[in-house]
Amino acid sequence: MFKRLILEDSSIWYLITAFVTAATIFLIITWRAVRMPRAEVDKFAQLPFTTDADERHDPSA
Amino acid sequence: MSGQKITIEYNDRVVRQFLLATVIWGAVGMLVGVLIAAQLNFWQLNFATPWLTFGRLRPFHTNAVIFAFVGNMMFAGIYYSTQRLVKARLASDFLSSLHFWGWQFIIVCAAVTLPLGFTRGKEYAELIWPINLMVVLIWVVFAVNFFWTLARRREPALYVAIWFYIATIVTVAMLYIVNHLSIPTSLLHSYPVFSGVQDALVQWWYGHNAVAFFLTTPILGIMYYFLPKAAERPVYSYRLSVVHFWSLVFIYIWAGPHHLLNTALPGWLQNLGMTFSLMLWAPSWGGMLNGLLTLRGAWHKLRTDPVLKFYAAAVTFYGMATFEGPLLSIKSVNALAHYTDWIIGHVHAGTLGWNGFMAAGLIYWLLPRLWNKPLYSTALANLHFWIGTVGILLYVAAMWTSGITQGLMLNATTEHGTVLAYPNFLDTLNTIRPMMLMRVIGGGLYLAGWFLLVYNFYRTVKGAAPVNGTIEVYDEEPAPDGKLSLAGTFFSAPTLFWFLAVGFGSMWMFGADLVSTTGIVGAVACLIAAFALVPSRSKAWGGWYEKLLLNALPFTLLVFFAVVAGGLIQIIPTVLVQKAKNVEDRIQTPYTPLELAGRDIYVREGCYLCHSQMIRTLVPDILRYGDYSRLGESIYDHPFQWGSKRTGPDLARVGVKYPNIWHLRHMEDPRSISPGSNMPTYPWLLSHRLDASVLPAKIKVQRLLGVPYGPLTAQQIFDSVDEQAKGIAKDLRASGGYVESDQEIVALIAYLQTLGKALPVITKSAAH
Repeated sequence: MFKRLILEDSSIWYLITAFVTAATIFLIITWRAVRMPRAEVDKFAQLPFTTDADERHDPSA
Repeated sequence: MSGQKITIEYNDRVVRQFLLATVIWGAVGMLVGVLIAAQLNFWQLNFATPWLTFGRLRPFHTNAVIFAFVGNMMFAGIYYSTQRLVKARLASDFLSSLHFWGWQFIIVCAAVTLPLGFTRGKEYAELIWPINLMVVLIWVVFAVNFFWTLARRREPALYVAIWFYIATIVTVAMLYIVNHLSIPTSLLHSYPVFSGVQDALVQWWYGHNAVAFFLTTPILGIMYYFLPKAAERPVYSYRLSVVHFWSLVFIYIWAGPHHLLNTALPGWLQNLGMTFSLMLWAPSWGGMLNGLLTLRGAWHKLRTDPVLKFYAAAVTFYGMATFEGPLLSIKSVNALAHYTDWIIGHVHAGTLGWNGFMAAGLIYWLLPRLWNKPLYSTALANLHFWIGTVGILLYVAAMWTSGITQGLMLNATTEHGTVLAYPNFLDTLNTIRPMMLMRVIGGGLYLAGWFLLVYNFYRTVKGAAPVNGTIEVYDEEPAPDGKLSLAGTFFSAPTLFWFLAVGFGSMWMFGADLVSTTGIVGAVACLIAAFALVPSRSKAWGGWYEKLLLNALPFTLLVFFAVVAGGLIQIIPTVLVQKAKNVEDRIQTPYTPLELAGRDIYVREGCYLCHSQMIRTLVPDILRYGDYSRLGESIYDHPFQWGSKRTGPDLARVGVKYPNIWHLRHMEDPRSISPGSNMPTYPWLLSHRLDASVLPAKIKVQRLLGVPYGPLTAQQIFDSVDEQAKGIAKDLRASGGYVESDQEIVALIAYLQTLGKALPVITKSAAH
């Protein structure tokens, strides 16, 4: 089987399976992302800014 | 609010150190890049000196810009942003320091060994085995420091930039270790455990994903943190960033075989590489648009803010390079573009435009914050941007023109496709010379821009006191309801379905008879069960996914499994099948000891960087170089030497073309044989004595790796070398070439003369 897979081009099903698997994952993740609650999305998007108001720059030791 | 209020001082010292190293190594790497580009125009710039020759400096350039320049920039960006995103100081000052100094020591070791010719002979994986071990050690230090910091975080949610960093750490570790598996023959030399097509596949699985997970994913993480910060507005679509991350992680790892299209690589792997490369268009452009649209409402700032200018241009170049990459992965386009300067143009659009400009934006943004002083000159930074942009455009346009010209000329035929239109390889070289010169000018401008940054950096930092950021936070534990145990991660329905589907799918594809049937039935049953359960379980599965995003360790492990699946499914069948008994058509004869020594010289001098040894299954290749290369013809090559660029012609069948004296004269002075050639001279090969004493150890390792050498004693090896070398020296003398038989050139000639002389396989039916 290995030899056939390596030496022949008859494994188109392998390619299709890989494509379908990746496409399925892509669609599931997209669906999950689209369904994320607005509040949660905003909270995540604001994470780089949560320390801005508090951060000071003190001379290092 | 419960808990005590405490002050955290970030470890910004290590960020400053990495930033400074970025600036210095960037200048060194780019300077060497301009030099080697100039060497291709003016061969005299090789100075007939071994350690200044193109073949040795090119790995210096690539390793310096990838691992020293981008590596240091990546570490600076990751350490700065991670501390702030998780509201915690880096876990260990000692590990941070060890990481920094260890990485610089590795770079210095590389900068010394590569020009001296100590190499493994695989692109971007040239460093010798002791340095490989140091890289792994320091990478582990980095990983421990990073994950330890995550474990101590005060912000339970993991921002998408952290996801990209996690994917980088686990995937680079996996790629690096697998592609550097070697058996040492001495302190400074080793042979990779893979050979021929296995080695080619593993190398480009690594090589392509080094681009993906060293030059792309960490920089995307940096983009998702620093671009919103610079634009002072959140990322355009957090949802899109989630899709961007998962689709990149799942797809990128499969695309490596597109570096081996139309070669002896099995067809199914070529198709796999091409298809997944095309699929990369979607996530890459999703990310690019997300970056650009983050600038919505801030475009007016681009006129004055150099940081935003660099980021906007960098993201645009990311989009351009990630459009071009899949395009080049289409087999028919690749037939034109592969081995030409088009690939060089593509790579530099990504590295100069995306990596280099992201680095510049990062540096200009961080400088005032890490030294608490305004940037010395915004005008100089703006000038840097414009000089750099013009430099990239000149470089890329020149290489596109040059590459397409090369491809068209080398593939052109007349007489109904039976005769080459330009049979002399040098016709092409001389046609593209103006474009090669333009590359030097473009690269020189980019380098000049970088020197402006160096000056700006120096003037900003001079006299300034370094400062560390501090914040006050409540010392409280993250909410317990978000915890996800390891058992909860792996014994959940989504994970189990994933493992079962991959397992059954692999059984179906790779198994035979009953195993294959079980695989089909199992895979279909899995799909039906998953769909049947969706209506009742989707809420619980959604909750599991939400928890996953708050738990670093389970998240990391699942990312690892996602990337490892793509690698194993490609590599395992190829590794298992490439055995002599499976090879059809032609099979390589193991090299004689002298030929093996010559091959190691070929690797040492970096000949593979300009000459391929792979005649593709394309008519022009066959007309020019001879019958197409078979899988079995490099089955014992540790490392493979198929190459990725043809600055000079392919050498797969050069052994049947010229007499010994031709090779001697050609190495001594290429232009005496090929007027107009830009190949360096190699006078030291005619004066350096071959060190045959290392051959017994080398052959012992080759035997260990499965190369069918007989049980040769050291004396037999030396006698064999002596006898073959004397024969070649005698033949050279008869033709007017006077060299001693123990010179390196004799070994190299022995190797070159064996190329293309694989034996036809005699099948059982034919033998009877």
